[in-house]
Amino acid sequence: MQLEVLQLSKVYKEKRGLQATRFSVEKGELIAVVGHNGAGKSTLFKMLAGWLIPDHGTVRVDGIDLNNRRTLVAKIGFVPETPNLFDFFSVEYNLALFARLFQVPSARVEETLSEFNLVPFRHAKVQELSKGLKQRVSIGRSLLADPPLLLFDEPTSGLDFEMTKEIYVLLRKIHASGKTILFTSHRPEEIKSLATRIMVLHQGALVFDGTPVDYFKSDIHQNLYS
Amino acid sequence: MIRRIAVLTLNDLAIAFKNKTLYLILFVPLFVFLTLKVVDGADTGAQKIKIGLLEKAPYPRAMIHRLQLADSVFAIDWFANEEAGKRWLKDKSGDGMLIPSDKAAGRFALIVLTKTSLQTIAIVESVAELQRVLEGKDKSWIAEIQPLQESELQMQMLPTWILMLVLLVGFIVLPAQVAEEKEKKLLLGLLQTPIRELEWLLAKVCLGMFLIGIAALFLQLLAQFDFDAVGGWSYFAFLVVGGFCFSALGVLVGFLCRTQASARVLGVLFYLPHLLPSALADFSQKLNTVAPLIPSYPFYGPTKAILLEGANVSDFPLQWVSLFGIGVVAIFMSHRLMKKRWLM
Repeated sequence: MQLEVLQLSKVYKEKRGLQATRFSVEKGELIAVVGHNGAGKSTLFKMLAGWLIPDHGTVRVDGIDLNNRRTLVAKIGFVPETPNLFDFFSVEYNLALFARLFQVPSARVEETLSEFNLVPFRHAKVQELSKGLKQRVSIGRSLLADPPLLLFDEPTSGLDFEMTKEIYVLLRKIHASGKTILFTSHRPEEIKSLATRIMVLHQGALVFDGTPVDYFKSDIHQNLYS
Repeated sequence: MIRRIAVLTLNDLAIAFKNKTLYLILFVPLFVFLTLKVVDGADTGAQKIKIGLLEKAPYPRAMIHRLQLADSVFAIDWFANEEAGKRWLKDKSGDGMLIPSDKAAGRFALIVLTKTSLQTIAIVESVAELQRVLEGKDKSWIAEIQPLQESELQMQMLPTWILMLVLLVGFIVLPAQVAEEKEKKLLLGLLQTPIRELEWLLAKVCLGMFLIGIAALFLQLLAQFDFDAVGGWSYFAFLVVGGFCFSALGVLVGFLCRTQASARVLGVLFYLPHLLPSALADFSQKLNTVAPLIPSYPFYGPTKAILLEGANVSDFPLQWVSLFGIGVVAIFMSHRLMKKRWLM
């Protein structure tokens, strides 16, 4: 078992957030976490990435507790909905900075630039890039330390059809390289052919956890999205 | 059109309230009022010229009598020797001291902290006026003025400029930068690498100290102030610990804010009360009693004494340690907030 989430919860003042949630993830899965806005998807991902401190519960990655942040950062890569890059610096600088902090060889920056077709933009300031390109830089950055588990929070949010397709191709490629991936979406139809497993969050509770076939057969999809 | 302008103005006001700009607008007049109240309070005792005299010096009886009669203008303190009087002046408990002049028999030397100060002018004017009333001649009892601080006017301004620089970096530059990194989730991004929270905090403090050092060096290069070796090292020691303390406080202020706009406002709210009482303490005995209670004074007071009065760092161990301690406490509190992902 690669990821174990045990009774994880976080409730905000407005009673939103995530109720005690429990699930586990095996190596090599590609999981889509779906739900409406405010369902608790981002809260879950932010807690897994260490951005939010849970009220209760624990998370273990390969048996290591979430409290060991400095060990876990090499095991979990997180791509937030809005790329949090140093806008006023170049693409290359952003990658090189994180490569230095992860203490990975600088050759990894070159590899990432090539892998994500960012070579022509290496000297461009991030603030000059389109949202799709920023997302590519952000994904590239999250892969610098080669983490086995990746979290993508709404990776296609605000992207046009072509860019969305491109991101999904990228997800497939990363998954094919042996990574475990969890990503959120509030558009289940789009992830029909992509995910190996679907988890549905509704008002902070996990209401479905199964295969895409079972999900689309069930009435949960109809109830939530009709 | 007017309706839309009104709606937009109200919206702008709501934003100003939300990002605490309104607090700043209210705070500045309040702070100025309180400062003026302290500087120009109704207690006229504080406005008297405090003059020191030596118990065994041969002052003309008429002069002493006249000074005592003018008790609404002068307050006299008596000292057994000149050293005690100088200490009294250095502590800023008095304005000036009259001792027999070595240069002109029967006349007096006026010892003051600085030659070019309002207090010095007031003493000379008042004493001359007393003498005109008493003796009706223009030749003053005061033959010479001996300042305890020999430095030039520019040099006397240096401690205030340095304090301004340190506080500017500490309370204006750093909080905005910390808040920006929080607001744009850059800090959270950095925390997805193996860095320790403390490393990030210390990097920010180092940045503050570096900026303060560069600014002080630039100021030094432009103004070319002279220091001896001891004075130079003592000045450096206080600049380092002051930079550490106020950079750490600045980072903490940044952590208390969610946005850059709030950080700027909160920064000014900290900046003014730290700057003004210390910088204006020389002009008011009341402020002089309030200023040591403010964290900027353990930096300003010793720096001033080192730069202007030839003191050195070993004269102010408590102040040095207290600045270091405040900095450590600020880092500790920032660390706690960072661990809790406070307002991130």
